[in-house]
Amino acid sequence: MKLKNIFKPLALGLVLTASSCSDLLDVQPRQSIDSATALTSEDAIRAAVNGVYDVLQSTFLYGRDLIAIPEALADNGRATNKSGRLVAEYQNQATNAHFQIWERAYNAINQLNLILEALPKATAVPVATRDSFEGQASMLRALLYFELARCYGYEPKVVVTQSDRGTVPLHKKGVLDLAQIERLPRATIAETYDFIYSDLTNAVAKLSTVTLSTAYANKGAANALFSRVALYRGDYENAIKYANAALASGIGKFQTKDAYVGAWRVANHPESMFEIVYQTNENIGVNLSLQTTYTTLVQLGNTATTGGFGDLVPTAALLATFEPGDVRRNLYERGTAGRGTAEIECTKFFGRNGVVNLDNIPVIRISEMYLNRAEAYALSGKETEALADVNTIRTRAGLEAKTGLTGQALINEIANQRRIELAFEGHRFFDLKRRGQDIIKDAPAQNLAYTDFRILSFIPNREIQANSNLKQNVGY
Amino acid sequence: MNKKLLFSFVFLLALVFRVAAQDRTITGKVTSSEDGSALPGVSVGVKGSTKGTVTASDGSYKINASSSSTLVFSFVGFKKTEVPAGSKSIVNVSLVSEISDLEEVVVVGYGGGQARRTLTGSQASVKGSDIANIPVQTFDRALQGRAAGVQISGSNGVPGGQVQVRVRGVGSIKGGNDPLYVVDGVQLNTSSNSAFASTNPLSYLNPNDIENIEILKDAASAAIYGAAAANGVVLVTTKKGKAGKTNISLDYNTGYVEPTKYLDVLNTQEWIQLRREALFNQTGNEATARSGALTGVRLSGTLTDAEIAALPTYDWQKEAYQSGTTNNYNFSMNGGNEKTTFYLSGAYNQSDANVRNVDYKGGNFSAKINNKVSSRLNVDAAINLSSFIQRGTFGGPNGGSFLGSPSFSSPLILPMNRIYNDDGSYFGTPAEGGLAGILNQNVLMVSDLNKINSRTNQVISSLGLTFKIIEGLSFRPYASLDYRTINGYNFQDPRTADAFNVKGRISAQQFELINFLTNATFMYDKAIKTDHKISALAGVEYRQNTQENYQTTAEGIPTPQFTTQSSAANPISIFSSWTGFKKAGVFTRFSYDFKNKYFLGLTARYDGSSRFGAENQYGFFPGVSAGWDISGEDFLKNNPSISQLKLRASYGTLGNDQIGNFDSRGLYGGGANYNGLSGISPASLSNASLRWEKNTTTNFALDYGFFNSRVQGSIEYFVRTSSDLLLDQPVPQTSGFGTISNNLGGMQNKGLEFSIKTTNIDKGGFRWTTDFNITKIDNKITTLYDTLTTLPGRTVDEQIKIGHPLNSIYVAEYAGVNPATGRAMWYDNAGNIIYRIAGNVDSYSKIIGSQIPNLYGGFTNDFSYKGFDLNVLFTYEYGRTAYNNQSAFMFENGGRAFNTLRSVYESRWTTPGQITSTPRPFNNNTEVLGSSITTNLGSRVYEDASYIRLKTISLGYNIPKTALSKFGLASARVYLQAYNLYTWTKWSGFDAEWTNLGSGNSGIVPQPRVVTAGVRLGF
Repeated sequence: MKLKNIFKPLALGLVLTASSCSDLLDVQPRQSIDSATALTSEDAIRAAVNGVYDVLQSTFLYGRDLIAIPEALADNGRATNKSGRLVAEYQNQATNAHFQIWERAYNAINQLNLILEALPKATAVPVATRDSFEGQASMLRALLYFELARCYGYEPKVVVTQSDRGTVPLHKKGVLDLAQIERLPRATIAETYDFIYSDLTNAVAKLSTVTLSTAYANKGAANALFSRVALYRGDYENAIKYANAALASGIGKFQTKDAYVGAWRVANHPESMFEIVYQTNENIGVNLSLQTTYTTLVQLGNTATTGGFGDLVPTAALLATFEPGDVRRNLYERGTAGRGTAEIECTKFFGRNGVVNLDNIPVIRISEMYLNRAEAYALSGKETEALADVNTIRTRAGLEAKTGLTGQALINEIANQRRIELAFEGHRFFDLKRRGQDIIKDAPAQNLAYTDFRILSFIPNREIQANSNLKQNVGY
Repeated sequence: MNKKLLFSFVFLLALVFRVAAQDRTITGKVTSSEDGSALPGVSVGVKGSTKGTVTASDGSYKINASSSSTLVFSFVGFKKTEVPAGSKSIVNVSLVSEISDLEEVVVVGYGGGQARRTLTGSQASVKGSDIANIPVQTFDRALQGRAAGVQISGSNGVPGGQVQVRVRGVGSIKGGNDPLYVVDGVQLNTSSNSAFASTNPLSYLNPNDIENIEILKDAASAAIYGAAAANGVVLVTTKKGKAGKTNISLDYNTGYVEPTKYLDVLNTQEWIQLRREALFNQTGNEATARSGALTGVRLSGTLTDAEIAALPTYDWQKEAYQSGTTNNYNFSMNGGNEKTTFYLSGAYNQSDANVRNVDYKGGNFSAKINNKVSSRLNVDAAINLSSFIQRGTFGGPNGGSFLGSPSFSSPLILPMNRIYNDDGSYFGTPAEGGLAGILNQNVLMVSDLNKINSRTNQVISSLGLTFKIIEGLSFRPYASLDYRTINGYNFQDPRTADAFNVKGRISAQQFELINFLTNATFMYDKAIKTDHKISALAGVEYRQNTQENYQTTAEGIPTPQFTTQSSAANPISIFSSWTGFKKAGVFTRFSYDFKNKYFLGLTARYDGSSRFGAENQYGFFPGVSAGWDISGEDFLKNNPSISQLKLRASYGTLGNDQIGNFDSRGLYGGGANYNGLSGISPASLSNASLRWEKNTTTNFALDYGFFNSRVQGSIEYFVRTSSDLLLDQPVPQTSGFGTISNNLGGMQNKGLEFSIKTTNIDKGGFRWTTDFNITKIDNKITTLYDTLTTLPGRTVDEQIKIGHPLNSIYVAEYAGVNPATGRAMWYDNAGNIIYRIAGNVDSYSKIIGSQIPNLYGGFTNDFSYKGFDLNVLFTYEYGRTAYNNQSAFMFENGGRAFNTLRSVYESRWTTPGQITSTPRPFNNNTEVLGSSITTNLGSRVYEDASYIRLKTISLGYNIPKTALSKFGLASARVYLQAYNLYTWTKWSGFDAEWTNLGSGNSGIVPQPRVVTAGVRLGF
């Protein structure tokens, strides 16, 4: 120790003579900035908000998993084993065959928490701009907690009591250093939905009616998301209320029959209320993009050239659900034999942005609002209104309107239309789950009862190890 | 015993006859027996008198002696030689170089030399002459098996490729484990930064320019390098100019490079049979299994047995793994006068790999000059310019998906796929739908059409002044520059699968490194009377390192002829980064030698680095060592059979600063872009207390020499304790982060090094020596953080568990095949048979091995006889277990559309009651409610990577001088070298010697066998 005391002045004396004292060992990074002072200007906060959407592009989130895995886990998609991907999910295997959104979702949530904490201090930023940032951040936080809640926990009306361990921890504070890290337990289902409601309420209040682009969180999308969350909660009054607000927002153009297929061939789907957009340099590529996941084709009708793997194709049961003349059936066609047996494949994601494997991905499409509202009406006794909404979807698809449907038959028809309309867009598994329905699969795959533990995803083991307050889901 | 050793100058006695005892003048010349060159500075004395002189620069001497007296010739590095004066007036003596290295002077940190006999730290030496002309591009590869305690593994077989050097084990989990390289005082930055090739920055140094290499292994010898020394220090001294006649040397060798192994895989008929079984075992329907096996690979489902039997088989491996050539040109000259000496050298090397389209071409030029400005001031300057270009591997560790790699895919591609069409064009292009099977790329087309290369240019230069202040005390300011640029290029042809959809992809890399160092040292040497010798050194040092890296990618070119990014339609990414660090330190060394028997060494450094947190920027690294040469004590002094018996001990602390330059900072990073606009996101948690890793080394050693050093060597025992290990401490991901860099863990390496060198025969001009070394290292994790016994978030083959070696493999033990059903079985930890590996990982996993070998070494035999010499080196490594990614695919047994090893096919289960370890074929490898037969959670796909390798054989012949003089040659040598001639191993892949650069051994270029012949001429 004493030697050390002699050395320090020696070091300073001998070495510093050649160089100024303060910068002897000073090196500053050039492609990063200090996190403690990062979010103080408008430009920085804007870039930080943008950085959250960047996370949403991940294949663990909307890039693939939240769109494709719900189809594989449920009864819409069948894994072809052409690359081996999604086979485990299709077979509902018990290990590593479920949503794995935890890491990316919380990464984005921390960014949102930091933005929401920085905004009140950034007084130099104009109020309208701050409100826009706050509204976007609130809606995105609600969206992410909603995704977490439905992946890891049950929905309020259909809880399997003996396996209910709540949803996920509700982290609301930003973290920049070790001392700020909290180890929270999982919140109850009710706490989670209350928190999502409060974020959505704030988002609807702060977001302006003037919307720049559906690539960003916007007022129409916040209302639409609210409608979906309320439907999952069994809160039909709000599901209807916010569906109405969403439909009235002017965001998302409900397409006609003739325009329906074409709407899937343009870069920005006209029905999108919120979609994740990708630039040319953000192409997910030949292994994991939705195009490669769903189809082997690179050109419609050309079965000579093989592109992707076509790992997940419609089940016979789904194809049988289509009535003759349904325009939506035109989004399914036979793929190539380049990677094995040629299958009927879904072409909803087909390089809309002009390059193979590059698709903007709708998170909420306006058609869903009619279906949300139809279901909410039907379940709150307003069957006439419900039938009108489902017929809006039917007639647009080129089918005749149904008449006189009531009770379970009406509910079934709404579910069928929802299944067809939103097929391969990441709804099917969650729709069955929130209704407490078993998953019926074509042999040789086996059915999955709603009470089975595989209905819920597994929390990453490292999280259980790192946080003793966190309980794994039953069965894992 | 001793008498036997004296024969070598017996021939001189034949010339001697007796005359009366009377003083007279004797003259003569002293030369080296090795090459006949004159030896200046040799002490010549008369036995029993104080008379003495030294030889002049031409080796001549003149002394008065009586004919009955005996002349004694002694010189460092040569056997002390006594010659009766006799009556002749001319006594020429040829001195034989000393077998013993004891008197040799070895280089220590920051210059200065120390006699090996007085060393107290642990230091291994390799002579440049031992590694000259081995057909490798970098000297580190040539050190394999030559130094105890130093484990060297080629990362792959790419010429000029990366090499992993571990001095006394692995001491760090997250930080670097590479030693510090110091070449003539230049502290190199040896990080490999090439994006598209496996590149070793040491390629700049021509191994033939190396005089010797010292590897500092313990804290006492390395502490002078402080926070940079925890992984050992490799000190390289290159050849310098010598005063006298200018010597010119030319050296050329040429040879061939070839694969060491092809994997034995199935032919078309066997594979179809296997696939049928796999499908049948799943469905139980023979008809659909038969047609499915055929249609799955685009054959007609209705082929008859005869038609199947007629299908051809194509050998993809023979096309992918090829023989090549290597050519190596060397030139050097040195000379000078008493004031100025110089050394110039140049070299050019061309070398193919054993895999298609991978090669190396490079050359260097080196100039060194030394000038005595005055009796006090000496200036030395050196510059080394080098440039080399490597053609890289598609799908190697750096560059593309391994599925497109010929080295990985060629044995796996289904054998019914033809390679070329009849017109010579490639079969199975992406436009035609690719090949049949999962590996559907024609990898030869991929390899031929894609252009991947990386050029490295380096300038290493230094300038030093040595100023003698008073006798024994000197001052030396010194500065060096290590400058490197890399230009990388990766052209993915639009006709190949990876770039087919985007119509071609071109990536480029520009990299620049500036590594500047300056230091100033005082050096003091003093002998007090004859019993005490003191040597001391003190200095300060400053080092600054910056590197910039640009990588760009563009896609969409009009036709394959357009090969620059400017022709591409879409710029896809522009990546640029800047990073740097600064270091400053003061250091000192003191050594004391009493009566050549008792030795003491003290070393210390106070070192700071910008990499560490603001609260812990400086650290103190001391080392102490002591030695006692028992053979110098009176009771052993006159024992003729003991030449050395020295006990040594040392203790000290070193630092490891090989962490990210900004690991201690909390940062927001850019690049989180969305919708064409820039975005930022938090990149790291801050940790202001982050500091260096600490390595404490205790060393006990015995250096022995018996029978006039005919048997000599060392035994060393060391304990290397690493603490404050930098770890990515996992934090709950709910925080938004995965990890934080923190000083948390502890690890210990305990080891035993044993080396022995014996002269087995030295008679009649025939000499046989043997050199053997073995190192045993036990590595274990000693502490983690909190109450953890296992570090979370590691893959199953890189487990970190307290009490077990680093990178342990923690999986379910394979239990073979159920004889009744043919299903794969594993054991859980209760000893039960399980068919499905699931549930709590601890319920079924146990440690089946570690990726770190615990035994390694080398075994050399040297033979020489009348100008012929033969050197045979074996290297070996034992105790490494590794996941064989290549073989994991090849063990699939028809489960998917890949080819399989014949040994797997032949041992597969087919009949109830059959006892075998290969399960029955099953489509997709996973039986109902079973686990995949190639799951990495079970031990079936892990293999013992131990090996013994006949690493080098070299045979040479020095043509006698008498035959050379008429050609004006001073020396001439012809030689043959063979490298990696044969390997004994259980490893089922191409090569057991590889290191994991991120994607296991998939796509790796295996080590080649190289045979060269060459000639060296001296003028």
